[in-house]
Parts: sequence; C-alpha cells; structure tokens
Amino acid sequence: MGRSIIALVLVALITACASTAPPPPNQAPSELVGVPFFPQTEYQCGPAALTTVLVHSGVATSPDALTPQVYLPGRQGSLQVELLAAARRAGRIPFTLEAAPEALLAELEAGNPVLVLQNLGLRSLPRWHYAVVVGYERARERVILRSGTERRRQERWTRFIASWAKADYWGLVVPGAGKLPGSARAATIGPEIARQEGQLPPEVTLTAWESALARWPEEPDILFATANARRTAADQEAAAALYRRLLLLAPGHMAGRNNFADLLLEAGCPGAAAAALAPAHLALPGLAANVRDAITRTAAAIASGKTENPTDPAHCRTLSGDPPSP
Amino acid sequence: MLKSRIFILLQIVTFLVASTVGTAQAAVIGNAEHFAQPHRSEALAHIDAAFARDVVQQQMLAMGVDPADTMERVGALSDAELQQLAQSLDSLPAGSSALGVLGALFLVLLVLEILGVTNVFTKI
Repeated sequence: MGRSIIALVLVALITACASTAPPPPNQAPSELVGVPFFPQTEYQCGPAALTTVLVHSGVATSPDALTPQVYLPGRQGSLQVELLAAARRAGRIPFTLEAAPEALLAELEAGNPVLVLQNLGLRSLPRWHYAVVVGYERARERVILRSGTERRRQERWTRFIASWAKADYWGLVVPGAGKLPGSARAATIGPEIARQEGQLPPEVTLTAWESALARWPEEPDILFATANARRTAADQEAAAALYRRLLLLAPGHMAGRNNFADLLLEAGCPGAAAAALAPAHLALPGLAANVRDAITRTAAAIASGKTENPTDPAHCRTLSGDPPSP
Repeated sequence: MLKSRIFILLQIVTFLVASTVGTAQAAVIGNAEHFAQPHRSEALAHIDAAFARDVVQQQMLAMGVDPADTMERVGALSDAELQQLAQSLDSLPAGSSALGVLGALFLVLLVLEILGVTNVFTKI
C-alpha cells in the first residue's frame, strides 16, 4: 500500500516535469540508411555504438576490438570519456555536441549519425544506455536509432527527448578524416580540438585546424591555433604566414605576438622578434597571467639573442614579412 | 687533491650549463592552454595529474579490467579527463544496455512505462 502511494506520487511529479520538453522539430525527414548496424551483446552497448560511428567515419574496427578499450566489468558498462579516448586511439576526433536538440538535427543534416547517452530509467534510478541516432521522421514524429539489438528502433520524439534530457543531452559525432561536425560553431570548435590535442597524432590535429580555418578564415583564435599547429609540424614558413595574417587582422592578439616572436627568435631573427613583440609591452598589465609570463620570458630570450646576433640575417624578411631594404 | 679539483670543475660546468639553458628559454603558448576552460571546482584543480593517473589505473584494475589494457586506457585520457575519473569513476554514467530490470523495480518501471515516462521496454 505504502509503495503504491509512493509510486503514484513519483509518477505525478515526473509527468509534471516531462511536459516542459522541447516540441518535435519541424524539418524534412532524413535517415542515414548507410549507417552500419552492430548489435550489442549483454552490456556492450558502448562498444557496439562506438563501432557504428567509427566504421561510418571510415575506420575498420569491431565491438570485439573496442570492448577491451571501453568496457568496465565492475560497472557492467562503458564510461563516456572512454568512448572519446577510444575514438582518438582510432585516429579520429570525437566531438561532443552542445547540449541541445538542435545540434542533433544539424548533425543528421550534415550526414553524421549521433551517438547518444540515454537514461532509460529515472534520474534517481538511472538505466544508462548508448544508442546511435540515424534519422528523424517528421510526419510520425519518430526518432530512428541503431539501438541494442534493433537495427531500426523508432522512438516517439517526446519519449526520446525525455530519456536524452535525463542524460543532459550528451552526444558525440565522429566526422570523417578532416571533416568538422555539422553543428560546429567558431566559438566552440577551438576548445573541442584544443582539449584533445595531447591525445591525438599531430597530423590529425593539424588537419582539423586547417579545416576549421577553411571554414572560418578570419577567426583570430583559429588562425592562432592553426599557426601553432603548423609550427608543431615543423612548417615554419606556413606558420609565420598565419601569424602575420593573424596580427594584421587582430593586432591586439598578444598570445599570437608572443608565439610569432618565439618562432622568429628560433629562426635566428631576434630583431624581427623584438619588433613583433614590442606592442605587447604596453599591454602587459591587462593580460592574463599566463600570457604575461610567456611574454616576459620571450622578451628575456630575445634580449640575450640580440646580444649574440645584433643584426638579423637576410632570410628573416621572408618570415617577418618586412619589405626588403632598398 | 685531484678528486676535489674534478668535483669543483664539475660544479662550475653544471652551473654554466644550467644558467645558459635558463636564459635561452622562450615561452610558447600552446593551444590546450589558450583554449582552456576555467576550472569548475577547486577540488578538480588540485588533483595532480600523475596522481590521478595512478588512482584511475587502480580503480580500473579493481573493476576487472585486464592489467595490460589499463595502461593503454589510462594513457589515452587527457589530464582533465583523468582528474574527473579519479573523483567519480564509480558514479559516472556507464552505458550498458536497454534491458536487465529485475524484481520490485520492474513493477514501478512497468507503471511508469505505460504512462509514457520511461522508455525501458521496446514493445510497449
């Protein structure tokens, strides 16, 4: 008797909360029929879902290959960050979506299936599950998923959103090599790539930055990051060209000035490095601590570099972009 | 006599090397540093990354992961991810399956399922 009352109260409370879910989207039906299907075994929805998106992105893998990388026997499941780590080990960049239904639809539009975390239970009694969204049917308001042992599981939009909302709208996409997520924005793509750089091969990172730059050619932070990545790839001239472009566009980008000065110094051009860094000195008090520290150290290194080489050699003009002397 | 001279010479050389390396060091601002989000909690900021790596590796072993696999899995995580796991590995969501409901929980979920609140069963 007591339990049923509790259950009824619970239901009343939860139904009340569910009525504020976002309305079904009003967009053209789309289904990515080419997305492969890997039925899960027992508790391995993580490996199955991840295999689905990785294979779709062009990686040869399988649930058996991924299970030792993501499955935790003691939790009978897989953690979200380990799915990200395994995607990186496969040489792809996994992009976590912004927590909003619009992002999901933008990805489907761009041809990317979305790996989602769902809570099929309650917030207080969660049943966590990974599935891959491959389509949305507007007429019947159905989301289509590769889920568990169902190749084409159809869930009503409201029910899907309820389960996805309880997982805080967590989802990821793995675009093909060199491609960016369909829902990417200039402000969010930078942090997404940068925070994973340490766990990715440098060539994968460079390709991602170049793609971001091609899409947002005048975004200062993306110019900065791509210049850094080109330098890491030992392409000094291409890096210098981007630093110059950045500083023309955003003369106040002091992190960019610092890194450009460092490049010039390393290339044996302390005079050009000093000129590049000069505007930063007046701005020092207003800068973030880490930028201030870097500039101070770079300035000291330039000073000792100038003592050794008072005049820059001729090749420095190519890097610094200064016109040749008459 | 010779030994102490060699020792003094070594000290001088070490001092010279150390001081030249110090002044030659410029500072590059890397991408991860530039785009870093501010720390959400003080606790997260204070867990040393190396310590977090050890903690997570131990937890994975305790959870039945093959020892050879733990090294690779821990190595594939960023410092921020390791710090998050070190704090909450046993409580973070672990996606497992759409099924596996037992006992008293079953009745509660059946009621909720019929009322359209949960989505555990496939055919309802």
